[in-house]
Amino acid sequence: MTSDTPKTGISRSLVAVAGGVVLVGLGALALKAGLVPSWISGTEKTEAATVDTTYFQPPGDDMIPDDHNGDAIRRGREIFMNTATNAGEFVGNGLSCSNCHLDAGKEPMSAPMWAAWGQYPKWRGKNKMINTMEDRVMGCFTYSMNAQHSVAGHPPPHGHDIYRDLEAYFLFLATGAPARTKMAGAGFGKVDKPEGGYSLERGKVVFAENCAVCHGADGQGQTDINGRIVFPPLWGPNSFNWGAGMGRINTAAAFIKHNMPLSQPGKLTDQEAWDVAAYIDSHERPKDPRQKPGMSVEDVRATFKANEDSWYGKEIDGVLIGVGTPDPERPVGAPETEG
Amino acid sequence: MNKKPDTQQVDENFDPWERNNRLPLPVVWVAVALALWGTGTLLTNTGGGEATTALDVAVQQETPLDAASTGARLFAGNCATCHQPNGSGVRLAVPPLHGSEFPAQGPELVAQILLRGIDGPIRVDGHGYDGHMPRFATALSDGEIAQISTYVAATYGGAETKLSADQVSVLRAETADLASWQGGEALAAAFPALPAQPPFATRSLDPVAPEISSLIFDGRSDVWACASCHGDLGQGVENTPRLSGLAAGYIAKQLHEFRDGSRANEHMNFVAAALSDAEITGLAAYYASLHVPSTARPILGGDLTRGEQLALVGDWDLGVPACFSCHGPSGFGVAPNFPPLAAQHAPYTASQLAAWAGGLRTNSPLSLMDQISAALSTEDRVAIADYLASLPAVPTGGAAIASN
Repeated sequence: MTSDTPKTGISRSLVAVAGGVVLVGLGALALKAGLVPSWISGTEKTEAATVDTTYFQPPGDDMIPDDHNGDAIRRGREIFMNTATNAGEFVGNGLSCSNCHLDAGKEPMSAPMWAAWGQYPKWRGKNKMINTMEDRVMGCFTYSMNAQHSVAGHPPPHGHDIYRDLEAYFLFLATGAPARTKMAGAGFGKVDKPEGGYSLERGKVVFAENCAVCHGADGQGQTDINGRIVFPPLWGPNSFNWGAGMGRINTAAAFIKHNMPLSQPGKLTDQEAWDVAAYIDSHERPKDPRQKPGMSVEDVRATFKANEDSWYGKEIDGVLIGVGTPDPERPVGAPETEG
Repeated sequence: MNKKPDTQQVDENFDPWERNNRLPLPVVWVAVALALWGTGTLLTNTGGGEATTALDVAVQQETPLDAASTGARLFAGNCATCHQPNGSGVRLAVPPLHGSEFPAQGPELVAQILLRGIDGPIRVDGHGYDGHMPRFATALSDGEIAQISTYVAATYGGAETKLSADQVSVLRAETADLASWQGGEALAAAFPALPAQPPFATRSLDPVAPEISSLIFDGRSDVWACASCHGDLGQGVENTPRLSGLAAGYIAKQLHEFRDGSRANEHMNFVAAALSDAEITGLAAYYASLHVPSTARPILGGDLTRGEQLALVGDWDLGVPACFSCHGPSGFGVAPNFPPLAAQHAPYTASQLAAWAGGLRTNSPLSLMDQISAALSTEDRVAIADYLASLPAVPTGGAAIASN
């Protein structure tokens, strides 16, 4: 091809180098555009990498300051991650805040604390009053951590350091977040109730196929060899009580749909999420602490849960749901008494 | 008959030749492009492959740094996943250091526990615990154990004595052949100032059946001796996994799946094909009962800091939760579906993660590992594998070491 256009040594070298540079450029462009298959380029695509960037990004732990504020933030984080130990006096089961607020309260759609912080004080139908963040967290201790069976027998009293430290941690996570603004990824999201309702029979199958490997066929969770809870119990005496938000089928369905199985959010269909949530929330758990002496389950249902998607106060196969599991022999976490 | 060769016919000695043409330009272009690309890649990728963490640096420089802060960092890296960063432990599961009677006995007791581990009931601050703590003898150097022990005894026990690396070296030699501490009772016998401890109930282990023992150490026609690849004590090496201390249910599941082909490995498919159900059960029970110190080391050059982050926290932007959120808070495993990860050999762990990512291993429940592995880069997989290999072996219920 070159015989009839002879070139001098220098110009030929120039053409050679220029051609090489052009090829490198084309190659780089192709790589950048993702046109090169990964088995050639050696780089693997991480599909999820771009997904979460639309959500608010809380600061990393390395941003915790090295001062009194930082100390409170770190204490709050320890309470959040290991609640049954670091706030153990007030926890009547083995659960931690981080069991439902995943990734240390940072994960979108698992009620991240950076989204919750700027929402309080606000009015809540649950107790029909203006709730501060402290009131709200007190509710978590009362219901999700089942404080009635704890050593103290009640949630941390108002003004307790546990609230100060937790709130310091929440505020830290919300660094730069807007207040009184509904943020993307707040709460557990919402999953519309399927038109055909939900089915315990289908839910039982969904549970066996998707949940039992971690939470156990009996829903009681699993521990490691030291008895440390790795997968939390979903019902029974060591789980959240009948007053907890997760006991409502719609709330549980939203959490499950957007977070479970862990590492596979969105795997279940809306129908499956509702079915399995209904199955989980059809089992007995500690009684609702709002059921004061003299109140029946039906009274509690009528007073607090009239319009809820919940089995509470209803019958399954002729058995009334919501009466609660038996009280423990001694408060959960109390030292053994020497026989 | 003496015919002249036809000019049309090709000479049988024909030798192709070409005039001395210059190289075609496209060939030169490709050569230049490859040279440029190669140089660029070389320049951008140098500097990787060295696993140094702040902790390593601190440990290597030992004395010049503030001893207390080095102790604190070693504590954070080795003790805090169980005993928690604030020494609170985990209620009803892991004894606290804060408020515990044990650190107050001084650093030697702490070092004795680190060197041997604990397997048995223990009472701390009025609460009873099941008591399984790994043996750190293979995971930590004399200097590291001295610093952690001194730090823990001072921080949580108010002890003022210090332990030196030389003293730990002596303790290490004395305890090398000793099994784990059999609960708080054994510790209280050695350190009489400790409060009363619960009695240790000796566990009787079923003896290994002769036919299982023979399979393990001698093999049988189509079944190679397990020990010939996995080692005398199931400790494994490189890409051959450690088996000792894995849950029996997990081992049995893998052997069944090697046998029916749903987990692919040329060697194991061949060996498992000849095993009966009873043999699988026996082998699984044997390896589950073994309690062998770690022989794994971080040898792949992975970034240990990144590995620790993935194991303890995960990378949720990649959709990857913490390894330990399913495999247990210290990589001890959750029987039978989530095997222990601690002390597994790094090349094996990395190869399995790659196999899941590439669709070559498909027997993970709910395909959990397929998706997680695929989301990780090659560097991340190596980082995790190396971090896990740096951890001490899982303490198991059985303390016996089977003999052949």
